[in-house]
Parts: sequence; C-alpha cells; structure tokens
Amino acid sequence: MRRERSGVNKQYSFPTVRTQGEETRPSRCPDNSAFKQQKLPAWKPQLSTATVLPGFFLTGAFCLAVGVCLILSANSVRDVQIDYSDKCSDCSKFRENSSNWNKECHCSVNFTLKEDILGDVFMYYGLQNFYQNHRRYVISRSDAQLLGRNVNSYCAPFTAYRNGTPMAPCGAIANSMFNDTIDLFYNLNSSAIQVPVLKTGNSWWTDKNVKFRNPKSYNLSSAFAGTARPPYWHKPVYLLDEEDERNNGYVNEDLIIWMRVSAFATFRNLYRRVKRIRQFADGLPAGNYTFRIAYNFPVTKFKGRKHVILSTVVWSGGSNPFLGIAYVVSGTAATLTGFVITAIHLKLRKKKTYFQK
Amino acid sequence: MLMEIFSCLFFFFFRSMNVFLIVYLCILISKALINTVLKYVWQSEPFRDEPWYNQKTEPERKRNLFLRAFTDFLAFMVLFNYIIPVSMYVTVEMQKFLGSYFLTWDEEMFDEDTGEGPLVNTSDLNEELGQIEYVFTDKTGTLTENNMEFVECCIEGHVYVPHVICNGQILHDCTGIDMIDSSPGGSGKEREDLFFRALCLCHTVQVKDDDSVDGLKKNQLSRRSCIYISSSPDEVALVEGIQRLGYTYLRLKDNFMEILNRENNIEKFELLEVLSFDSVRRRMSVIVRSSTGDIFLFCKGADSSIFPRVKEGKIDQIRSRVERNAVEGLRTLCVAYKKLTAEEYSNAQKLLQNAKLALQDREKKLAEVYEKIERDFILLGATAVEDRLQEKAADTIEALQKAGIKVWVLTGDKMETAAATCYACKLFRRNTQILELTTKKIEEQSLHDVLFDLSKTVLRHNGSLTRDTFSGLSTDMQDYGLIIDGAALSLIMKPRQDGSSGNYRELFLEICRNCSAVLCCRMAPLQKAQIVKLIKLSKEHPITLAIGDGANDVSMILEAHVGIGIIGKEGRQAARNSDYAIPKFKHLKKMLLVHGHFYYVRISELVQYFFYKNVCFIFPQFLYQFFCGFSQQTLYDTAYLTLYNISFTSLPILLYGLMEQHVSADTLKREPSLYRDVAKNALLRWRAFIYWTFLGVFDAVVFFFGAYFLFDNTIVTSNGQLMTTSTHMMFGNWTFGTLVFTVLVFTVTLKLALDTHYWTWINHFMIWGSLVFYIVFSLLWGGIIWPFLNYQRMYYVFMQMLSSGPAWLGIILLITVSLLPDVLKKVLCRQLWPTATERIQNASRHCREHISEFTPLACLKSPRYRSSDCSNSPARRTNWCFLCANLLSRNTL
Repeated sequence: MRRERSGVNKQYSFPTVRTQGEETRPSRCPDNSAFKQQKLPAWKPQLSTATVLPGFFLTGAFCLAVGVCLILSANSVRDVQIDYSDKCSDCSKFRENSSNWNKECHCSVNFTLKEDILGDVFMYYGLQNFYQNHRRYVISRSDAQLLGRNVNSYCAPFTAYRNGTPMAPCGAIANSMFNDTIDLFYNLNSSAIQVPVLKTGNSWWTDKNVKFRNPKSYNLSSAFAGTARPPYWHKPVYLLDEEDERNNGYVNEDLIIWMRVSAFATFRNLYRRVKRIRQFADGLPAGNYTFRIAYNFPVTKFKGRKHVILSTVVWSGGSNPFLGIAYVVSGTAATLTGFVITAIHLKLRKKKTYFQK
Repeated sequence: MLMEIFSCLFFFFFRSMNVFLIVYLCILISKALINTVLKYVWQSEPFRDEPWYNQKTEPERKRNLFLRAFTDFLAFMVLFNYIIPVSMYVTVEMQKFLGSYFLTWDEEMFDEDTGEGPLVNTSDLNEELGQIEYVFTDKTGTLTENNMEFVECCIEGHVYVPHVICNGQILHDCTGIDMIDSSPGGSGKEREDLFFRALCLCHTVQVKDDDSVDGLKKNQLSRRSCIYISSSPDEVALVEGIQRLGYTYLRLKDNFMEILNRENNIEKFELLEVLSFDSVRRRMSVIVRSSTGDIFLFCKGADSSIFPRVKEGKIDQIRSRVERNAVEGLRTLCVAYKKLTAEEYSNAQKLLQNAKLALQDREKKLAEVYEKIERDFILLGATAVEDRLQEKAADTIEALQKAGIKVWVLTGDKMETAAATCYACKLFRRNTQILELTTKKIEEQSLHDVLFDLSKTVLRHNGSLTRDTFSGLSTDMQDYGLIIDGAALSLIMKPRQDGSSGNYRELFLEICRNCSAVLCCRMAPLQKAQIVKLIKLSKEHPITLAIGDGANDVSMILEAHVGIGIIGKEGRQAARNSDYAIPKFKHLKKMLLVHGHFYYVRISELVQYFFYKNVCFIFPQFLYQFFCGFSQQTLYDTAYLTLYNISFTSLPILLYGLMEQHVSADTLKREPSLYRDVAKNALLRWRAFIYWTFLGVFDAVVFFFGAYFLFDNTIVTSNGQLMTTSTHMMFGNWTFGTLVFTVLVFTVTLKLALDTHYWTWINHFMIWGSLVFYIVFSLLWGGIIWPFLNYQRMYYVFMQMLSSGPAWLGIILLITVSLLPDVLKKVLCRQLWPTATERIQNASRHCREHISEFTPLACLKSPRYRSSDCSNSPARRTNWCFLCANLLSRNTL
C-alpha cells in the first residue's frame, strides 16, 4: 500500500507535488527548486572540432589582418637613435671623476636626416643599464611630499642631510634625475637654427595636475624654504624651470616623467616635443642637425649608455615592429592549426564511416 | 589506536594534493634559492651592487653577508609564496561544505516511505565518492528490506491475491486468475474456508493489542488495531496477509484461538497441540478442536516436506504454482490438513505426551512422533511470501559493477540464503563461476590446496578477464564469484607458526582481486571490519566504501574510507557512525555514480586550476627578477597581489566547483561505465598535473615576454589621443605590471570558461561578473588619490593603459595566444584519444541534433534503461531459491 502511494507520487511532475505537498510530503523532504536539484537550465557547450574550427580560422584571419595593418603602419614610423655616451667620451671621462660634479661639460653630436620626418616629432633620452626598477630604488620616494604634503620617511637613503635639513624632493629616484640638457639645432646654410621644442604637455595630465603638487605658499622659493636640493642636483627644485612658473617645482615635467620609474633597465623617456612652427610645421625637414648636450649625467660608472632619440608615433605606437610581427605569426599559426585539425577530422571521419560499413 | 585514526584520516585525495604541494614547495624553495644565488652573482660587480644612483643605507652596508643573504632568501620566499595556494585550502573547504548540501537536497535521494533524506556527517569525503573501488555491503536490511510480505495463496489451484495490496485495483499480472470474489462453489468453498482457517491457526504468532498511534499507523487496514509478533517474520506476513483476505486472527485466550471470519463472526478453536517448527522437518502443525467438536490437524511447511505426505488434493496444480513462485524468487509454503477422529487424536496425544516426557533422546523421539502424526494429509494450497530485495537493489549492484566497482557482500547469514540474495540482486549472474572457500571445502582439502587450486583457476583467465572488465561492456566474459565464510577467513587471517604469515593473505587477495564479486557469509561484525582492513591495506590501497544498516556494521563502516549508513529500521546506530547516511541501498547508485563523479571532477579541476592560476600569477614575477637585478621588486601592485586569489579569480572556480556537470546527471546514471574514467584518481595523475603546470608556465611566459617586447623600445608609449591631444605618454613599471596582470586575470578566467561545460546564469554572472569587477576595481583603485596610502603609484595607471591602442591590441593578442594551445590540446585529445565521457558528450550531442548513424552507447541504450526506470511495477523478484539452487549446483567448482 505504502509503496503504491509513493509510486503514484513519483509520477507527478514537480509543480503538482508542490501544491499538494503539504500533507503528502514529510517536512524533511528537500524542496525541489532547480538549483537545489542541480537542474538549472544551462548552456552546455562542448569544444568539439566543428565548433572550434571556425574559431581557429576566424582568429587566424583576424590576427593576420591586424598584424598586416600594424606592420604597414609601423613602417611609416621614423626613428633616429643616437648613442652619445661614446661620442661624448671626453665628457664621459670628465664625469667619472666625481670631484668635477659641478663643472660643466658640453659636447655636440652631428647627424643627418636623409628624408623628412613628418608629423609630430618626439625627442627622447634613452638610458641603458640603469636599473630604475631596482626595489631599493623604486621605494625610495615620497608621493606625499610630491603632493605638497609632509614628507614621510620612505626616502632612505636620501631623506635629509646630516644637519636635519630635509631634501626636496627626497629619495633616490628624485636624486638621480636625468639632468643632461639636450638642444637640437638645424644646420641650414651654415647657420644653426635652434629647433623649437615644447617642454610641457609631455607627462600624464593627471600626474601634472593631481598627483604632483607644489606646497602652497605665496611663491615657490618660500614654499620650499627649509628644504634643500638633493645632493646630486645642481639647483634647487624651485629653479628647475625658471621661465615657466607652472613647470617649476614638483610639477616640472622632466621631474614628473623621471619619477615614473621604468619597467626595465633599458628605457627611454620623453624629453621634448618639436614645436610645429615655421619650417618645422610639418616636422623635421631633411638636412644636417646637431645635438648640443650639456653632459651632466654620469653613466660610465655603471657601464650605462645614453641615447637621444627622435621619433614619430602612429596609432599603433612607436617604432617597435613586435606587435605586428606577433600578430602575423600567431595568425599564421592559428590558421595552420585550423588546417591541421581539419585534416585530422576528415581523416578520422573517413575511418569511422569505413568501419560502419 | 591513534595510528589507526591517522590512517583513516589519510585520505587518498589529500594524499595526491599534498604531493603536489610538496612539489610546489620544492619549486618555491628552488626559485628562491636560484634567485638569491643569482642576486649575489649579479651583485658581485660593485657598479651593479651599489651604483651612484641607488645607494644603500648605512645599516644595510654594515649588515653581515650571510644575514643579508638569508633575508634575501626569505624575501624571495615571501615574493613567490603565492605559488603555494593557501586560498586553495579555503576554497576546497568551502566547496566541500557547500557541495555537500547538494547531496542532502537531492530529491531523488529522498525516501518518501520513511520520510528520510540523505545525511552528510562529514563533507571531507565528497570526492572520495567518485573514487570508490570496493563496496562492502551488509545483506539484511541493506540489500533486502528485512520485511516479509504476503504475496498470494493458491487454493486448489485457484490463485488468491490479497486485494488490498493493489489498492483496490486488480494487479495487471493477475488477470485471468480467479479472484477472491469469484469463489468457486461447492467443495471448493469448503476447502477455501479450511485453508484460511489453517493459516489463521497454524502459527505461533502472538498478538499485542495496541491502540497507540504507533499501532494505528502500522496496521491501518485491520478492523482492530493490533500488532502481530513472532520470531519468524514469515508467519507475521502470512497472518497479516490472511487478514487482508478477510480472516483475522484475534488472540489466543485460555487456550482458545479466536478468529474473526469474513462474516464478522468470531469463531473459537481450542488449541490442543502445537507441533513446533524445526529446520529439519521444515514444517509445523497444530491440532485444534473447532466449536463443532471436529478435530483438525493443520500443517504448513516447505513443499519438499509436505508433498510426500499428501494423499489427496490437487497436487499437480499446486506443485506447478509453487514452482512458478519459486522461480520468481518467492518463499513458498504449502498448507495441508487432516481431520482427526477422537480416537486418532487421543493416540496422537498419548504419543506426544510420552515423547515430551522422555528423559533420553527427547528430540529424536519427538521427531519420530511428529513423523507418525503428520501424514496422510489433504493438500489445501500454497502460500507465497516475499522477503523483498530493496527496491532496485539489483539495478544498483549491476550499475556499480559496470562502474568497475567490486561489490562484496558481508553477512552473518548462512551461505545458501546469502547466495540466493546475491543471485537475486545480480551480484552473481548466471554465467558467474562460483568459487567456494568454505569450512566444508577446507575440511575436505587443506586450506593450502584449496587456495592454490582457486588461484590457479582464476589466474588462468586472468589476462582476458582484466581486459574484458575494462571494456565493461561484454557480458559473456567469464567472471568469478567467490564465496567465503567466516571460519575460512579466520584461518586465512591467522598468522602461521612457520613465519610465512603473509602468504595466504596475499594469495587470498590475489584471488579476490580477480573475482568480480565476493560473498562473505557467517561473518562476525569484527570480521567484517577485518576484511575491509585487509583490502584497504592491500598494496594498491584502493578506496573502500562500507554500507550497512545495523549496529553490527558499525565496525566495518568505521574501518572503510567511506562509511555509509542506511537509515533503516534497526535504529540509527549505523547512520550515526557513518560519513553519509542514505535511506535506501538504491540511493548508493546516484550517490556514487552521479554525486561522487561530479564531486571528483569538480574538485580535481578546482585543485589543478588553483595550481595553474597561481603559476600564471607568480611565474612572471619570477621572470621579472631577472630584469630588476634580483631585487625582489614586485611586478604587481600590492592590491592586485592581495586580491588576486581573494576576489578576482576565486568565485568563478568556487562556483565551478559547485555547479559543473561535464555530462548530465542522467547520462552518468545511465552509463555507469563512465565512472571508470575517473577511477584511480585519473584526473589528478602526474600527467594532468604536469600538463597544468606547464600550461601555467607557458601562459606566464607569454604574458611576461609578450609584455616585455611590447614595452621594449617603448612601443606602448601611448600617443594618448584618446585622452588628450597628441601627447606621447610614458609607461612605467606599474603599467607593465598592470598590463601583465590584466592579461593574467582575463586569461585565467577565460580558461575556466573554456573548461566549463555547464553554463547556468550563475556561471555567466560569476565569470563575467568577476572580470567586470576587476575592471571596476582597477578603475576605482587608480582613480583616486587614496589618503591612507603612502604611495600613489597606481594613480591613473589602469586608465592610461586603456587609453593606449597598442596596449589593447597587446592584451587581446596575449590572451588569444595563451588560450589557443589549451583549446588545441583539448580538441586534438578529444578527436584522437577520446575518453568514454567525451564520447558520450559527443554522442548526446548527435542524439540531440539528429538520431544519426554513428551514435554509440548512450543513444542505443537509453530507451531500454529509461523504460526500466519508469516502469512502476514493483520490481518483480528474480530467481531466489530455485535459481540459486540451480546455479549453485551448476557453477560450484
């Protein structure tokens, strides 16, 4: 008898059981929501050959297309890189002696542009073998100080001088800021025209306007009163750019850019942009140029090198062909794999039908 | 004792996981060591150790070299510690705890008769349920219901079925047979009355009047509520059955038995003698005097003991009916009577009196007297009683065997009864060759000879057997069933004097290993545990499961890796001592084949995935050390380091661990052989582990060097046109880390998405949700100057990265490149070396789309299985005594 009843109960579908559930079902019976019964409606994809094949071909086609576009666009990028650590070997040697730290050393590097560099031209300085990403170096900074607030003690070993005067800005990063001055001259008919460059607008807008703030005071020098320049600097922070008040102190863009430490020991940082006026309205015309460099930054001590780079950019970035090549390679690989899978699939299917006969 | 507890706790799953952890610990330590050594090699040149731009503090310079090296080593350990996924333990625990709810929630595991559902007493063992190799089951109460039921009676060749049993409906298989209402007239009517009275009177049942609720519930249908009590459940079943046919036995009062007959009149019979039951005679009789003064002897007993004593009656018809019932697996009894004259009675009484008073050989004399009295019967009819197997017990055992699980029945019953049950529940099949290792055999030969004979027989077929069992489909293979009894077992287990103690044990294990089914009868409770232990500690260390319902099974339940209690009639002791408790034996099927399989698949993916995602996470960090002068510089921001395992990638995998169904539950139930796919920890083998680790390393290399080449020569200095006018932005180390981390989070999450075969809305929500969460978090984290932080290094890093076109292209490329090999591997493996599970997946796909020509297993089989599932007819008993006797004689060696 009892068994019969249970049999009848089981024949009902879930909803009906629920309505009459109160008396027929004991209270311990679990309720039969789809979740609890692990019967939620679900999409059940299987990675079968048929579903994956189009995926492979589509990926392949997409990657190839993007890769070709990238390579084509990267081809239009002009890139001039000049290593001046050798060319200015006199200065290099001069800087090796640290007693000369506050004496000036100038050097010029000539080069020729065979064709015009059109569009926005960016000027970088590049450093090699400079471990900006060394942990001891990376943590030696004070973001609070750069925000114009009180110094906190994360700047070791460049927090303050022995007499207690705090450094502004403190820390190893700020202390080792790149301080070569590079000017570009266009040699036209034996007269050198200085190429006009922009010092500002090179850093992130948010860095310039939010993350780096000068301490509030009626003028900059008073804002930094009671602090001293970092030991390797030639001038205090409020004299970094005497021409432009908004590019001075902590908000100096050279400082801001330097403070964004690089990911690797070889890196380039944006230094200046060519201002597109007069004969440079379209970029840099072909011809002879000279970099006049005030050589302050010693690199030979750590076997480093210094470069100055002129480059343009396109939508896909700079002169690096890696992305385009990578896209083409992986696109080709995906397409080939697609063909291989197809071949295997067809072969196996033939075998299967053969067996069935 | 403590050791035992530990060995119990030493579970297979955690064993393999711990081995993996040790491997990762080694990797961690070697990474840290390598980096420490390299650091000092690299620093050996002073221009690198302390360049002018990056000077040490005074205390740093003064520090002892070894102390420095040691701190560096520790720093590297801290840096790489994520490779040991601590969060995995938390997630595994949560998965197990929450996952066990699905077991208790399962409606199919709920038993409506008893109102009991499954209980989970521990959630540590969920995945073990998918790894069971041996099932040790009790018989009474576990395989059978321990509940006799009166099925039918046959009077004079007319079959009567208690009509209440089918709830007022005529059972479909009884049509064409005389029912109680169409009673035959004349002498038939008289015999019928006699038959019912015989059944009402010929027993030793006691009546317990009970008006309590309990009684009402138990005996709703009786006109008076009472409970019958007897030493034999058969008798109770008979009396209750007759009650349903209209004759109620009321009580024995002052030596008068009272019967309520069909007309609601009370008839009284004086009970004169009881010729009680014994197993040699296999019958019992009563002598009663009716109210009219006639003296009757009613006798009931086994057919073999009744038929020779019958002189009258429709013997042939009844015999054929009895045989038919026996084949159906019913316990049959024949009923006969004889009318005694007063003279005969007094003779008989005298004989009995003498025998009872005899001082010597009383038993023998009584038997002789019985023999004299019980003869010249008139056959009335036969009854059929069933000790039902539990619902779907045979189906369950068959499924378990197909799943490659070896089922052992351990029982205290005697061999014949137990063997019959084993046949009935398909533990032994018709073609199973039975090997006997019993006391009787050992008496004939020595234990040594018996064992060697058996092993020879078994091993002869060994090669072919293992292959066949593995294919799991061929049913005509020669398989062996072993029957062993307690005495023989203790002989085997007894250490021998001559020191070669392990010898027999090994031999015995060898035989057992080659038998598809083993029946151990006449076991003491402790022997059950001993057997379990023997198997558990054998050299393959199989995972064992013990299931039982009574207190005598507790020792075995505690001994096995997984102990399951049946919430049965015999109290809750077993259920309370078990790891899981289920209401019926049949629930074991779903528990192992579906839940166990799911749990195992889920947790193995969970564990592997955790290792994988942490390799992906930490390996770029390791590579980065080579580029930052081994200075322990982190690649990712602290927030990312902390939240990676906690919130960015934890929920999708937890949900996967709870919800994943690589094939549907129905398929798993239908195709028990799929269980073999995960047997022996298949998904956590070294090969899988190494594959996952290498995939992790590959992905990490792709992330890191992909990003490295992107950053090389500053390709990703964005031109920022999205943000401001043509500015050339610089990207630093944090942007690099963020780029790698973004690729990492997306790849790892999408990898899980590729592995998910069961996409409910919750999965969609979690997977896409966690990606969205990552983006939102990054935007927020980088969008504000956080006043409580002393660094602002992440400020706008994420947004600036997103504003750069090359970064987008790079992210897309790197994700694709790191995912494609895995997809490729999956497709190829599926195509070239499909597992059974994958074949089923393919097949069910084809099934759904069109019933195509190449649909193996699932489609072909499903209709049959389904029909057997749906049929509501009470699982009609298969061969019992009859078949068992036949097969035993045929198959026994």
